[in-house]
Amino acid sequence: MRRFSARLSLAVVMTASSIVTVAATSTPAGAANKLTKVRFAYVWPSPDALLIPIVAAQKEGFFKDQGLKVSIVFPPSTSTTVQMLTTKDADVALLTTSDIPVAVAAGAPIVSIANYSMKNNWGLFAKNGSGLSLKNLKGKKVFSWGDNWTSAMLPFVLKKAGLTNRDIEIVTGADDNALLMAGKVDFTTNTTNYGIPGILGATGKKPIAITGKKAGVPDVPVWVYGVARPYAKKHQETLIKFLTALHHATMWAMETGNQGKAVRYFDKAYPNGYYSHAYNVRAWKLTVPLLTDKTGDLFMQTKKQWRDMADAMVSVKQIKKAEKPEQYFTNSYLP
Amino acid sequence: MRRENRRMIFGPIMSIVLLMVTWHLIVVLGNVAPYIAPRPLDALASIRDNWHHLWPLLLATFRETLFGFLVGASLGIALGVWLAKAPFTRRVIYPLLVVSQAIPVIALAPPLVLLLGFNLAPKIVVVAWVVFFPVTVNVLDGLAGVDGDYVTLARSYGASSWRTFWVIEAPASLGNLFTGLKIGATYAVTGAIIGELAASSGTSLAMFQHAQSAQLDAAGVYGTTLVMTALGIAWFSAVVLVEFFTMPWKRRSTARRKSVRP
Repeated sequence: MRRFSARLSLAVVMTASSIVTVAATSTPAGAANKLTKVRFAYVWPSPDALLIPIVAAQKEGFFKDQGLKVSIVFPPSTSTTVQMLTTKDADVALLTTSDIPVAVAAGAPIVSIANYSMKNNWGLFAKNGSGLSLKNLKGKKVFSWGDNWTSAMLPFVLKKAGLTNRDIEIVTGADDNALLMAGKVDFTTNTTNYGIPGILGATGKKPIAITGKKAGVPDVPVWVYGVARPYAKKHQETLIKFLTALHHATMWAMETGNQGKAVRYFDKAYPNGYYSHAYNVRAWKLTVPLLTDKTGDLFMQTKKQWRDMADAMVSVKQIKKAEKPEQYFTNSYLP
Repeated sequence: MRRENRRMIFGPIMSIVLLMVTWHLIVVLGNVAPYIAPRPLDALASIRDNWHHLWPLLLATFRETLFGFLVGASLGIALGVWLAKAPFTRRVIYPLLVVSQAIPVIALAPPLVLLLGFNLAPKIVVVAWVVFFPVTVNVLDGLAGVDGDYVTLARSYGASSWRTFWVIEAPASLGNLFTGLKIGATYAVTGAIIGELAASSGTSLAMFQHAQSAQLDAAGVYGTTLVMTALGIAWFSAVVLVEFFTMPWKRRSTARRKSVRP
C-alpha cells in the first residue's frame, strides 16, 4: 500500500510539472518571443506627429495581430536615416521622397515600398500681416534646412516668381520659427503640417502659406516608407504584414472619432517630446488630408510621381541622371 | 638638415601616412560601401573636385576663427592679468568663468543668432567664448608661478609695478600663455563650425558638409572634414611659430647633443 502511494504521488507530481511547463510556454510572454522584430527608423532625430500611424499600430495591437513587434529608432541627424537602412541599424524607415533618387544615384540599394503622403504640401511661410508673397520675394531672406527636399523644391518657387538664387538671401540653420519670429528671416520653408501649427502656436494667427501649386512645385508626395533591397528580398512576408498593419492603423487614426485618441497615444509615448499637445493635434489634423489619393487609397505609388521627382532633381542638378521609376519604388508589398 | 630637424618633420609625416593606410585598410578589408565611408584617396579627390566651392567657404571660416581668436585671446590675457593682480576680484569672478564653460557651446549658438543675426558676429562670439577660458586660466597660472624672488629683486632696484610686470612677470609666464593659446587655437575651428551650423547666410563650410551628407556623398563629407582639420592644424602651427620667435631663450636653453668622436 505504501509503495503504491509513493508511485501515485510521483505520478501526480510529474503530471503537475508537465502541465505547468506546457502552460508556461503558452503564456503571452512565450507568444511575444515568436513576434518578428522590425526596427522602424524615423525621418527626423526627434518624434513628431508623422509618427502617429506607427504609434497607433503599436498601441491598438495592429502590429501584434500581424505577428510583428515594431520598435522606433531615431537617426542621429536629419541626413542619416538612409544610412541606417544600409548599415542594418533599421529595417524600415520613413524617408523624404527626394532621399530615394539620391540614394540610388549614390549606389545605395534603397527602394520605396509605399507613399506616406500623396500630395506636395511644401512651400514658403511668412508671418500673418507681413504682406509677403511671391510678388515681393526678391531681396528677401528665406530660411532653408539645407536638406535634399528644400534644395530640390526651392528653385521651382524661384522660377514661379521669375527669380534666381541670387535674388534672395538663403539662410541655413537649425531653427526656422525662432528666426522668423525674431524677424531675422522673412520666409521659412516647410510643409503645412509643420509650418502652420508652429507659427500659429507662436503668433496665434495662421501664417501666410504659399504651398503646392501656388508655389510652383511639382505635385509629388513628400514622404515615403523605404527599405534596403537586401532586407526586402529576405523579408517579403514581414513587409506585407508591416504595411497591412500600418494601413489598418493609418485608416483608424484618420477617422474623425479616433484622431484625438491617436494624438493622445503619441503624447503618452513621447511625454518629453518637443511639441505640445495642441501642436500635435493641429499637425495630425493637417496631415490627414494628405494621406489618401483621389480614389481614397493609401500608400499607392505611381510611375509618374517618381518620374516627376527624378526629373525635378535632375533639373536642379541634385542628381545627374533620372533612372527608370522601377529603380525607385515597388508596390509589391502593399496590402 | 640636422638629425633632430629631420625627426621633427619625419615624425608627423609618418603619423599621417600611418593614419591614411589604416583608414584605407579598414574601408577595403571591411568592404565598407562608398556611401558610408570612402577610401582616403577618394576623400582627397573630392577636395580637389570641390575646391572651387571649398576655397571661399574656407576663407570665411578662417575669418571667423581669426577674429574670434583675436578677441578671445585678448580678452583672456586681459582677464588673466587683472585677476592675477586683484585677488578679491579673482575670488568673485573665477567661479563665473568656470560656469561660463559649463554652458554647452552648441546650446549657446542659437540664442546668439537671434540676438546678433547670422553673419560674422555670432560666430566671432562663439569662437571667442571657447578661446578665452584656456588663455585666462593659463595666464593666471603663469603669473602665479613667477618666482617671487625675482619680483622682490626688481622692486629692490626701484622698478615700478608696471616695469616689474613687463620685464619679469610677463616673460616668465609666456610659456603658459602659449599653452593656452595653442589649446584655444585648436578649439577655435570647432567654435566656428558650431556657429555656422546654428545659422549661416548663404552657405558655409559646415552647411556645405551637411548638404554633402544629405547627398550620401561620403567622400565629400570626409574631404570637407579634412579641410576643417587642416585649418585647425594650421592655426595650431601658427601659434607654435609665433611661440618659436617670441621665446628665443626656450630653444637656446637646451644644450644640443653632439655625437662624440674618438
